[in-house]
Amino acid sequence: MRSATSRVSPDERGEHAGPGTRVGIESTETPFFFERGDAQLFGIVHEPVKASDTAFLMSHPFGEEKLWSHRVFVSFARELARRGHAVLRFDYLGAGDSTGSTADTSLETHLADLGGAYAWLRDRQPAAQRVGLIGLRFGATVAALFAERMAGDARIAQAPLVLWDPVVDGDAYFQELLRSNLSTQLAVYGKVIENRDTLSDKIRSGATVNVDGYDIGRALFEDGSKINLASAGHSHSGPVLVTQIAAGATAKLREDLQGIASAYPRGTFQRCTEQPFWREIKPFYGRASDLQKSSLDWLEQAHG
Amino acid sequence: MAEKARVEAVAFANESRERLFGTLHRPANPRAGAPAIVLLSPGVKMRVGPGRLYVPLTEMLNAKGYTVLRFDFFGLGDSEGELQESMLADVYNNIEVGRYVSDTTSALRWLREAHGFDKFVLGGLCGGAITALLTAQREERVTGLLSLGMTVTLASNAAAPAKFMTSHQLDSMRQGYIRKLLRPGSWLRLLTFRSDYTVIWYSFKNMVARKRPQAPAQPVAADAPLEQRGNANPLFPPAFFSFLQRGGRALMLFSGKDRLQAEYVEKFATPYAAQLAPFAPQLREHVVENANHVLSFPEWQREMVDVSRSWIASLEGA
Repeated sequence: MRSATSRVSPDERGEHAGPGTRVGIESTETPFFFERGDAQLFGIVHEPVKASDTAFLMSHPFGEEKLWSHRVFVSFARELARRGHAVLRFDYLGAGDSTGSTADTSLETHLADLGGAYAWLRDRQPAAQRVGLIGLRFGATVAALFAERMAGDARIAQAPLVLWDPVVDGDAYFQELLRSNLSTQLAVYGKVIENRDTLSDKIRSGATVNVDGYDIGRALFEDGSKINLASAGHSHSGPVLVTQIAAGATAKLREDLQGIASAYPRGTFQRCTEQPFWREIKPFYGRASDLQKSSLDWLEQAHG
Repeated sequence: MAEKARVEAVAFANESRERLFGTLHRPANPRAGAPAIVLLSPGVKMRVGPGRLYVPLTEMLNAKGYTVLRFDFFGLGDSEGELQESMLADVYNNIEVGRYVSDTTSALRWLREAHGFDKFVLGGLCGGAITALLTAQREERVTGLLSLGMTVTLASNAAAPAKFMTSHQLDSMRQGYIRKLLRPGSWLRLLTFRSDYTVIWYSFKNMVARKRPQAPAQPVAADAPLEQRGNANPLFPPAFFSFLQRGGRALMLFSGKDRLQAEYVEKFATPYAAQLAPFAPQLREHVVENANHVLSFPEWQREMVDVSRSWIASLEGA
């Protein structure tokens, strides 16, 4: 592993503690690569000088949503580190600085990547009794499925699971991705040359379809389209937060997310007001203040 | 089996002692005396570029024996620091006037001191391209500019977008409006005051106005009033000519369906044609037909990589 550690103190970052935050704890941030099979995955671990017994693993969204939301992840990880938690952020196969292409990914590779990152963090932070999962959009969905798979591992089973605007209906989500391909066709050719049915058929026949620079292959498309988080298992015994991210305070409450939260033994549903910072919007999102505060407040209440 | 390039996670400090994070990609077979190539982040996207555009470019450069550094500017990606802007356009504007020249200079210093490189090629898309040029203006060790979608305008003037649109953009907008004539939703937007009437007006006015003969555009001084200068970036022409005058060579690659190409032609290449002519041998221009701003489809990325390979070969005799 090659890495370069950077020591970060809250004052040097010029950040300000929000209401209810504790005095910041100095931490280090270390970028590195770790191996998962033939792949090299990129990660950054945030490590407080004195870490608590709960660490966190963050699961980013798919495709360009990862880039738009990246700084929100960084800000949240730094805030958790300031509160004494070790945090690992990493890039899935075919994303960010990790090797591979999204064409080679599937739901299974995502789960395996998350498993590899968890194993790395567990080895790095052996004193962590719990490893919480935090995900956004498709990353939240993968985190929820991973938590089910790891129900026999006490470190994860008892730890918080935070799902920010998870993808509930995989089929609808992948159709939405294909719509982005149609938008690109419209913008450059002035018309749709291949409609969604054609694109779906192409993928099913083994070809790839590009969405905003990311190739989607058969395995990810077919497995991903079958996901239905509402009917998936909800046995995670630790506290679970399901957050609806809505652009306005008057937005209708999402019943599907409320249903998922209530299906967990210790589930909580929250709605917070943020622009969809995982897409290109006019504001610059260095952090998602409402999401960050509501999530941190919930973590304090649920977990101490 | 061929040896693979090696990648390592790196961090170095900028002048404000903020740590900047990146990845250093070393070729399996380094080319002796070759410059290091630094790919600069576009806009607020991080060091891999939109759609991971810089990944295939890095792989090609490694295969040709070049070391490549990609890193995040302060306040972006994984790097330290905080940006104070609340609007993206303001972030873009500050990049276009050189906010990250200092960070780029820090990267070059780090490559020089830690890895012994003494010459460089700077590259990047959009905001990365203008940052590369503004750094090249100051850093004589920069010998080449690998520009993808150079921006010659300032984003913040986008408050009045129609006023500064190129003829090409206005044509495109007008065709879009004509296509929407039969869509009820478009009429609803128009009648409920959600359409941009200024853009509509300028696009149709342009159709009529263009029929009259127009005098060729002339260069405008950097300190000219806004009304004369429009949204052109006053820092671009002096930086570009300064770089060319000291022998710098540039690949200017644009996407065919990107406004930046039309802006470059209408707001720089045409009015400055006479001044540019002597430097023609140092410039290679290429347009990837039909491509969008971020070269998202694989065939556009492949063409960009192929053209970059050919250009770097001509630059270094690789």
